[in-house]
Amino acid sequence: MKQPEKFQLRTETQEGRCIVYVSGELDLEVATQMRAAMAPLVELKDRELSLNLRDLKYIDSTGIGILVSVLKARHANQAPFTVEAIPPTIRKLFDMTGITPFITKQNQEQ
Amino acid sequence: MKATDELIKLQLPASAEYVDLVRVTLYGIAAKMGFSYEEIEDMKVAVSEACNNAVLHAYGNHPTGTTSQAPEEQPRMEVRFIKKQDALSIVVKDEGESFDALAVARQKSPMHGKSIDQLTAGGLGLYLMQALMDQVEVHSDAGTEVVLTKRLVRSEDTV
Repeated sequence: MKQPEKFQLRTETQEGRCIVYVSGELDLEVATQMRAAMAPLVELKDRELSLNLRDLKYIDSTGIGILVSVLKARHANQAPFTVEAIPPTIRKLFDMTGITPFITKQNQEQ
Repeated sequence: MKATDELIKLQLPASAEYVDLVRVTLYGIAAKMGFSYEEIEDMKVAVSEACNNAVLHAYGNHPTGTTSQAPEEQPRMEVRFIKKQDALSIVVKDEGESFDALAVARQKSPMHGKSIDQLTAGGLGLYLMQALMDQVEVHSDAGTEVVLTKRLVRSEDTV
């Protein structure tokens, strides 16, 4: 059952900003990998942290739970966290669970 | 089940790495029945959530599901797809300890109107199942059985 392309994560660091690109399926199977990858980035208080979902095909409640954990940790660190390029099928789940206003830039600036 | 219903049954290890196999199977069955892309996406999420619960029960909340147990001793889950005239029911059954469905249901409507400090990372699974399916039943006897049903609205019926 090894599928190397099931889930991929790539981090791009720009000046003052760290962008994490995830692709494939973010579910229970890869939750440990995702949590481990995000843990050190959450602590970078002097940088904006963004998660780009452009190539994400699927997310489950475990994946949404990880976003909640990151959001709370960043909030505790008083550091910004946003999620960008959310595909429509995933956006629908975010709206349903109510996480959207917490992770989209537009609403944070209001 | 009625005589006209058709049954497709999957028996698989209660392990996170098999949940995507259930999604692929669901896609094949639901597409053949004539469900829309959006309906299938909804069902994929709901069925995966039910399978996640089965995996988490089986492994006492250690989600990666790798154990040193012999294959015949590893926990298993069963997924039954019941094709009806006007609906698809998916039954996900595990052998783990029964979970308190009512306690989970009380965590519904997780983040609307809350502050960041009030958010919790868990408890979204059952909420999503109920939001995405037409009917959700949870039976807890020996293990837990979740029955998810989506009605099929055929275009010729809407004339």
